[in-house]
Amino acid sequence: MNALLIGKLPVAQWIEAFTNWLTHTFSGLFSFIQFVGNFIMDGITNTLSFINPLLLIALVTVAAFFLAGKKWTLPSFTLIGLLFIYNQGLWGDLINTFTLVLVSSFVSIVIGIPLGIWMAKNNTVKQVINPVLDFMQTMPAFVYLIPAVAFFGIGIVPGVFASVIFALPPTVRFTNLAIREIPTELIEAADAFGSTPRQKLFKVELPLAKNTIMAGVNQTIMLALSMVVTGSMIGAPGLGRGVLSALQHADIGSGFVNGLALVILAIIIDRFSQMANKKVTDAKQKSSKANTYVAVAALALFVFAALARLFVQGDSAGAGQTVKLTYVEWDSEVASTNVLAQVLKKQGYKVEMTPLDNAIMWQSIAKGETDAAVSAWLPNTHADQYKKYKQDIVDLGANLKGVRLGLAVPTYMKDVNSIEDLSDQADKKITGIEPGAGIMKAAQKAQKSYSNLSGWELVSSSTGAMTTSLDQAYKNKKEIVVTAWSPHWIFAKYKLKYLKDPKKDFGSEENIHSITRKNLKKDMPKVNKIIDRFNWTQDDMESVMLDINKGMSPEKAAKKWVKNHPKKVASWTDSK
Amino acid sequence: MNKLEVKHLTKIFGKKQKAALEMIKQQKSKTEILEQTGATVGVYDVSFDVKEGEVFVIMGLSGSGKSTLIRLLNRLIEPSSGDIYINGSDISKMNAEELREVRRHALNMVFQNFGLFPHKTILENTEFGLELRGVPKEERVELAERALDNSNLLAFKDQYPNQLSGGMQQRVGLARALANDPEILLMDEAFSALDPLIRKEMQDELLDLQEKVQKTIIFITHDLNEALRIGDRIALMKDGQIMQIGTGEEILTKPANDFVREFVEDVDRSKVLTAQNIMIKPLTTLIGVDGPQVALTRMHNEEVSMLMATDRRRQLVGSVTAEAAIEARRKGVPLADVVDRDVRTVSKDTVITDIMPLIYDSAAPIAVTDDNNRLLGVIIKGRVIEALANTKEDAEEGGEE
Repeated sequence: MNALLIGKLPVAQWIEAFTNWLTHTFSGLFSFIQFVGNFIMDGITNTLSFINPLLLIALVTVAAFFLAGKKWTLPSFTLIGLLFIYNQGLWGDLINTFTLVLVSSFVSIVIGIPLGIWMAKNNTVKQVINPVLDFMQTMPAFVYLIPAVAFFGIGIVPGVFASVIFALPPTVRFTNLAIREIPTELIEAADAFGSTPRQKLFKVELPLAKNTIMAGVNQTIMLALSMVVTGSMIGAPGLGRGVLSALQHADIGSGFVNGLALVILAIIIDRFSQMANKKVTDAKQKSSKANTYVAVAALALFVFAALARLFVQGDSAGAGQTVKLTYVEWDSEVASTNVLAQVLKKQGYKVEMTPLDNAIMWQSIAKGETDAAVSAWLPNTHADQYKKYKQDIVDLGANLKGVRLGLAVPTYMKDVNSIEDLSDQADKKITGIEPGAGIMKAAQKAQKSYSNLSGWELVSSSTGAMTTSLDQAYKNKKEIVVTAWSPHWIFAKYKLKYLKDPKKDFGSEENIHSITRKNLKKDMPKVNKIIDRFNWTQDDMESVMLDINKGMSPEKAAKKWVKNHPKKVASWTDSK
Repeated sequence: MNKLEVKHLTKIFGKKQKAALEMIKQQKSKTEILEQTGATVGVYDVSFDVKEGEVFVIMGLSGSGKSTLIRLLNRLIEPSSGDIYINGSDISKMNAEELREVRRHALNMVFQNFGLFPHKTILENTEFGLELRGVPKEERVELAERALDNSNLLAFKDQYPNQLSGGMQQRVGLARALANDPEILLMDEAFSALDPLIRKEMQDELLDLQEKVQKTIIFITHDLNEALRIGDRIALMKDGQIMQIGTGEEILTKPANDFVREFVEDVDRSKVLTAQNIMIKPLTTLIGVDGPQVALTRMHNEEVSMLMATDRRRQLVGSVTAEAAIEARRKGVPLADVVDRDVRTVSKDTVITDIMPLIYDSAAPIAVTDDNNRLLGVIIKGRVIEALANTKEDAEEGGEE
């Protein structure tokens, strides 16, 4: 019995080793898939974006009108919903999300239906696949993001990969069920008249199973849509990013709007996919004609738009090179990354900004999937990541000096001035942020080294949730201990104090560094120079942060700051 | 010339089939095999042959293995052992490709629940077999339409099966099989899902058709009357074994064993027969509700010339003859005025020997009533005589043993 408790099985290490082996062995294949996937999805997204949104909304409404058998409810909903999304400025995100869902569903169907058929035909296969499907459906979706990043890096391809794993099971299950549910007598009839397995499948089984299979496909589409938000953590573009960043900033309004846009899209896709699934009646003849017409028209429109885009824009490698910046959705980094992006745009570059989880951000730069980040807190906060990836990145030094982090409390908690003074305040809870953040690592270290924190709990959530908790506690004059760092607007908004840290677990003096991928200097010397020179002060940063916190969009706040500090900006960009 | 020959055909379901086959060779019983190996025997060492153009009926109760047997003939179920010769070639040894050819040309099947494809129109269903064979579109449509025309269904060719009645659907099933022009037609309880009237019609139709097309037909049923009506020869199955093969007459007059006898008589003869054993369902008319015309229509439909009359509480009132009803219609009087109230009644426990004298001097059937004068059934002359004759024979046989 004790033997079981003595040695922990190194399952995590095995999985790690296996994933590494996969990544190395099939790196060529993964890169190829990534390249092809990106090429296809960028093509779809760019083509759809190229069509004038209002024209596209009108066309989709007309399609809905014909598909719904000339009833008014669906077309009106489609029109109003899409106009609302357009009005909220989420059109680009919508197109990205739509592409992601379309490709994920397509891949799921292409894999799922044959798998389902095979399952229905062969009991052994069913015995093997069923537990695998259970595993796929119950494993938390976040888990799929980890190998997805390892295989395909960041962006839309790993998003699709994770969506497919998550959304595949219903299609497989329903296909298997549908084919097994066909009355024995019909199968016998098909056999008795001497059909080949192929004839049986295409003339009898699939037509009879079609409705149930379509119900499964519909489920798959909905699941793929629900993975959009999760996928945005690893850089999948679209409406999910808005939801995620709203969560991290505790921004109820924009979270709701993004969520509502997702709901509208979900309902439209759901209704459209159900149109393709009608029972056999006389009316069906008409509706299936409508289905065919709409499908053909959609395809024709798409091809036409794609050709037009090529004609108008020429090759996609346009005038400006693209710089890929990545950051974590902390308020400080949102400010600095947006400012840098504005500066680079002014220089004529295209800028892609990808919000990621901290660890994945480091990984993506190390793998060369993104160009640079200006949010490396060194030497302490991100020490773990630095140690892990320092071989594969270039550290350009500090862009902001003298940041600080630690545990902070409101000033009305008079009897607490040092971490050592903590005993049973605030229900023995430290309100933290995202579990992957560097400051959380430091807080865990502090929990171990300060004996008076032994019974304390470190609660991880998100940056936004932490500020919301702080806000509520502050208003009610309740005790609260938070993980805090400056520059941050909370110090401007509330009266807070850092707790003394005699054991230096949170580091003494920290700087924010700019890091880039290897070879950026060779590939884009000018960009590299700008990022290298980029530096500013805490006051600069906090002014941008406050603007954002007051409700200005990050982009606007950054533009405002750039406009007001021409000298400073010039010092970064001058080609001396 | 034998069209079809079946030799020592056996089908075992479940595990340990080898051991079970071994036991069948030793003539062990089905129960014994189940106890020792856990394998169920579906068809137990069956041999028979069917002649060209013959309607061969396989009859048995449910669970007797008849449906399994018919599916073994076209290998929808794979035989465990034994041989099936069609035109002299053994289909149990064929590979999938050869078997498909046989199924496409020589053997077609009609199913109990019609087996029509709900997503195909009647025409598409009918041409299904031809389509599988790769017959060009025009030709197969022509053949399918001809088959439908033969069954008077051409007008419905663009409808879907669920828009047709059961009888029509089964005619489509038959047309689908015949459009292929197969040599052998397998019919698995083809008329069991239809209501009795349509069933009779379909049986007649099949007989008419058989006169025209002269197919070899293997027909499965659990209904003795159906078997006697259409079968040239009948095989009676029980527990996967064939008990007896012969013409209807042979089976009725020379039953090979007790099971066959009981099956065809359907009467439990171990008890002394009473009125209850031999009475049949009464055909009644409701006095005070039905008029003469209704009574006449009823007689016409049931092909009788007399009805028992009851009131609303099913109390026996008397009997109505066709003549009386016509009389009443002519005069415009209700049925109650023409009822013959002099009907002989017996209770359900009356022994046959006591009924005998009553039957001889009554033209009308005798009514069987309960203590409250409610009508339970009627006894007709033929049944009594038959029952008596049989009991006599039994007694004699018993004496010989």
